[in-house]
Amino acid sequence: MTPLRAWLMLVWLSFRRLLWSSNALMALVPLAGCLLFLLKRRFGEHGFSEHQFDRFSNGFLIEIYLSIVVPLCTLAFAAGSIGGEREDRTLLFILVRPLARWAVLLAKVAATLPLALGITCGALFVFCTLAGEVGQAAWSDYVPAVFLATLAYVGLFHLFAVAFRYSTIVALVYALLVEVLLGHAPGIIKRVAVNYYGRTLMYAAGEPDGLAPPDPHWFEPFSPNVAQWTLLGFFVVSLVIAALIFQRREYRDLT
Amino acid sequence: MTAELTFDRVTKFYGSVIGVNDVDCQIGPGITGLLGANGAGKSTLIKLASGQLRASLGRVLVGGHDAWSTAAKRLLGYCPDLNTFYEEMTGCEFVWTMASLYGYPRRELKERTDRALEEVGMANLSERRMAGCSHGMRQRIKIAQALVHDPPILLLDEPLSGVDPGGRRSINELLFQLAERGKAILISSHILVEIEHLADRVLMIARGRLIASGTLAEVRSQMEDHPQLVEIACEQTRRLAALLIESETVLSAELHAGRLQVRTANARRFFAALNELVLEQGIEIERLETLDAGADAIFNYLQQSTR
Repeated sequence: MTPLRAWLMLVWLSFRRLLWSSNALMALVPLAGCLLFLLKRRFGEHGFSEHQFDRFSNGFLIEIYLSIVVPLCTLAFAAGSIGGEREDRTLLFILVRPLARWAVLLAKVAATLPLALGITCGALFVFCTLAGEVGQAAWSDYVPAVFLATLAYVGLFHLFAVAFRYSTIVALVYALLVEVLLGHAPGIIKRVAVNYYGRTLMYAAGEPDGLAPPDPHWFEPFSPNVAQWTLLGFFVVSLVIAALIFQRREYRDLT
Repeated sequence: MTAELTFDRVTKFYGSVIGVNDVDCQIGPGITGLLGANGAGKSTLIKLASGQLRASLGRVLVGGHDAWSTAAKRLLGYCPDLNTFYEEMTGCEFVWTMASLYGYPRRELKERTDRALEEVGMANLSERRMAGCSHGMRQRIKIAQALVHDPPILLLDEPLSGVDPGGRRSINELLFQLAERGKAILISSHILVEIEHLADRVLMIARGRLIASGTLAEVRSQMEDHPQLVEIACEQTRRLAALLIESETVLSAELHAGRLQVRTANARRFFAALNELVLEQGIEIERLETLDAGADAIFNYLQQSTR
């Protein structure tokens, strides 16, 4: 009996269940919407004729994809990993096995990451490919920001999953209220949103290719370095807090 | 590995409500029945032992380890009172998956899964999806997943509910075999007759308090202040009644359809007196039965006395 083998089996179990869950289908809904939007913009009468890179980046990738679609897609997987087991009441079968609570949480995160990153970065690749030449530059410029933002959301939504009984609803409210509304509000309040740091990275990366950044007096950007570390910090700190909560929680509080 | 479960002055509060109150007992090898009405605290005790709940006061030890620890969970097989599974899996896949969370190598996993399914009599039906299994089959799969790592201590929360009589018999036989192998089995039920035939000893719980523990006979004999009803069938019931009523251990004697029903305050002394009497008087006893020494009757007495 080895704890590592048991942990890997839990990762595999969680991965398989997430992959074939209704959450995976839910993640595809906003992506399908994006695809339709992009096809219309790419091949319709309002194609990227002028300032193509700026319009593709600002009008689609930053304001729609990063700000709305990435949190929703990540939510579908991250909220389903522990939250799904809580809702199905199957978490008990895992918690009575000889695995430390923090290891269970880590296994759930490890199972979620490839799916969430695969779908957000994979969709970015598809959209950039469909956008043609302009998309090639966008892919290499923006993939680090999408990767790090997804990482931060995975951590955050796992924290919600262990902290709140109705974590999916809390995460959905968070995604719409904090990420969409507060993240675009004037003043420093926008810094509470993960997408603010993602956008900071995207503006910095896209500027040399023709992306027009927002007015710095309004946006008040950090340096890309600070934004990167902040996104990583979101991930790590969320997981540490989640592990501490999960370690102490009684099963009745988790159902 | 120690097959011993210890509740060391355990109290559990749910906010201001008390779930179990100062429970102090040890459960060793053999079958121990945990008896109590719904809401008495049986599930709380089992959840404390399986590390789902933490004791507010006192300690719960599984083989000497704190019940919350991973070391304790290695020693424990738990069959919950839940009817939820990974419904998309077959019974075999479910047990295999649960076994895999102990970190066994692949070949051993297969052997353990097959053995556990064989033991619960599900070897031929294990390829059926959980969603399509009957309640009885699901109960057996739940027991199989608790047995799969061959733990020294088993916690079974209402394992016989919904199982047909044939299934009950085979599960009972399995539990006897496991007890013979030295495993400590704590089995909870609110159906007292079920436990009566199964358990070596019982823990009776009411309103969160442990009100009695020991074999049923021990528990009954501890209740000296409560009368016990004994039915005697013989040819000379009237004569025997007249003789017995003189004994100070007899509270009343009644004749019912040719049988004598005697209410005694102290069963041990009564049986000694009866023995002496029938030998002296040459009365032939055809049948002797204690009518209210069953788990049900004892539990009702105890519950009333703790009110």
